[in-house]
Amino acid sequence: MTQYAHSRKSPAIWIAVTVLLAIAILGTLWIPLYARSAPRLGPFPFFYWFQLIWVPMTAVLCRICYLLLHGRPDGPADTGSKQPLCISTRFPS
Amino acid sequence: MHIDKIPFVIVVVAFVLVTCTGFAAARWRPADDPMRLSEWGLGGRRFGTFVSWFLLGGDVYTAYAFIAVPALVYATGAAGFYALSYTIMIFPIMFIFGPRLWSIARARGYVSPGEFVRGRYGSQGLGLAVAATGILATMPYIALQLVGTESVLTVMGVGTNSSNVFVRDLPLIIAFGVTSAYTYLAGLRALALIAFVKDALIYLTVIVAFLYIPAKLGGWGHVFAAASAHLNTVNPATGKAYGSVVVMPAGEWAYATLALGSALALFVYPHAATGMLAAKRRDVIRHNAAMLPAYTLVLGMLALFGYLARAVPAVNAGVKANGGNSQLSVPLLFEHMFPGWFAGIGYSAIIIGALVPAAVMSIAAANLFTRTIYRELVRPYATPAQETQVARLVSLLMKVGALAFALAFNRTFSINLQLLGGIWILQTFPAVVIGLYTRWFHRYALITGWAVAMVYGTVQAYRTPGGGQLHFGGSSAPVFGHVVYIAVPALILNVVVSALFTVVFRAVGARDGYDVTRPSDYTIDPHPDAVAVPQPRAVSPATNLPAGHGAQHRATGPSRSDPR
Repeated sequence: MTQYAHSRKSPAIWIAVTVLLAIAILGTLWIPLYARSAPRLGPFPFFYWFQLIWVPMTAVLCRICYLLLHGRPDGPADTGSKQPLCISTRFPS
Repeated sequence: MHIDKIPFVIVVVAFVLVTCTGFAAARWRPADDPMRLSEWGLGGRRFGTFVSWFLLGGDVYTAYAFIAVPALVYATGAAGFYALSYTIMIFPIMFIFGPRLWSIARARGYVSPGEFVRGRYGSQGLGLAVAATGILATMPYIALQLVGTESVLTVMGVGTNSSNVFVRDLPLIIAFGVTSAYTYLAGLRALALIAFVKDALIYLTVIVAFLYIPAKLGGWGHVFAAASAHLNTVNPATGKAYGSVVVMPAGEWAYATLALGSALALFVYPHAATGMLAAKRRDVIRHNAAMLPAYTLVLGMLALFGYLARAVPAVNAGVKANGGNSQLSVPLLFEHMFPGWFAGIGYSAIIIGALVPAAVMSIAAANLFTRTIYRELVRPYATPAQETQVARLVSLLMKVGALAFALAFNRTFSINLQLLGGIWILQTFPAVVIGLYTRWFHRYALITGWAVAMVYGTVQAYRTPGGGQLHFGGSSAPVFGHVVYIAVPALILNVVVSALFTVVFRAVGARDGYDVTRPSDYTIDPHPDAVAVPQPRAVSPATNLPAGHGAQHRATGPSRSDPR
């Protein structure tokens, strides 16, 4: 049977997803934010460890967005049914 | 040159193992009808989160990550780290656009972005433009894989000193020939299976190297000091420092545009589409967006290998002895830092990590060619078996085209091959990605924008000297006083021209093409076992029909009958 992933998510969730993904992208796109040596993490200049830390940050942000949009992590695709949302309850909508 | 026996034996064993896996893959999850293009070219669209993770990772992390990026960092320092920023941005972008592309492809049986554009805009010309661009842009990317493999073979001492190009590169040709053979036979299934072996080798090598080599070199403090000492030295050729450990304000525009341009370009590369469309469910792509950054972390470590290599005097001597070819830096690093057996594992990881993506890319280009060029122009009523046969042959031809690129271009910075491909492929972004959301742009305007941007991008790249050649020597050029990656201004030009001409074409009343897609197609998420839309065999006669026929098609719904 054909299913549709039409989610009847509230605009608040879409705004939250947009903001989180924008943060993920802009974090390394805005170079003046991290193009410096200090503070160092051990021998690593800020330029390097900031970007390396941004990698798991992006993963976490994408994960949060996934949970916001799809509910249960391993469940079937959201079909707009009454699936409980793990994280969305924390965001007032 | 002499060959170290131990690493050589290990590489050969790994290669034979992978080859056997590749041929055995024809029996893995066997298809009812292996001669359908979605079976050969998309593995039957049945890959779940786990397999897709390996397959998409294999798309992204290639000889580009192993050879080209560390070579750039080795030579110029922080400027090469844009690759890390680029691979960070890919996944949020994939998260946003991927599911819609997957759904429309599933709903309509598309195997490539070219077909989508053709159906969406009802424009054969636009579909052809997207397909031709995809094929053109993929060739230098495959060429990068050839160059990467070659640099490992050079360090291993494999190859003869013959002046005959064919004889000299025989090991390279054998490696790619064998890979092409099982790709021909088993298609994407073979590569999905081999991706496991490949990634196991890659993760093992990179993590061991990242922990073991710095300790042996006296710690990261020493490594950064050595890198800094080199980068601050003035290059006699240019009169400026070689580079810097932190990006300078003058380099920020180039850094940002290279990262963003590459990330947007990757999404529209045919092989990325192949990886996404092979997923079994719509949410596999988003689920993976949160897990694929593991590969980005590996890329970050690999980029730092450029600095590790700089801290080893024997590597610097080896690079110099080979005409300053910095692409040898990582293989040389393995040779000098690891015992022979582990160097062999590292070499295998790089070689297999180049062969697999090259094969995925050739499949992707073959899918594009078959559906958008062969079926449109040559044989509109091709049977699925004929399509698959053509795709198989084209996947072989792609390798030959790539060889031409590899031989014709300067190999000092092979990353340029990938960047040149990026300039071209990014010009399909408006038609493909904006097309997923709106049909506001007129089909002729999109063709005009594409053509203007392709000419602009190619001319700019042609005029850029570098690496000892006058033309196509680099991919960044000054625009309005800032040095930027040419792909980005070309894309902006593309969108502006498309928008202006859309207004013009609408004003003069030029007709829109017929859109075969429906709004619900973009969010469809059928059960993996559901029978998809029968592959529309003859799209060409059906899609450009007047509205009356369109209504008829709408009535028959997604499982419309074969026009024959």
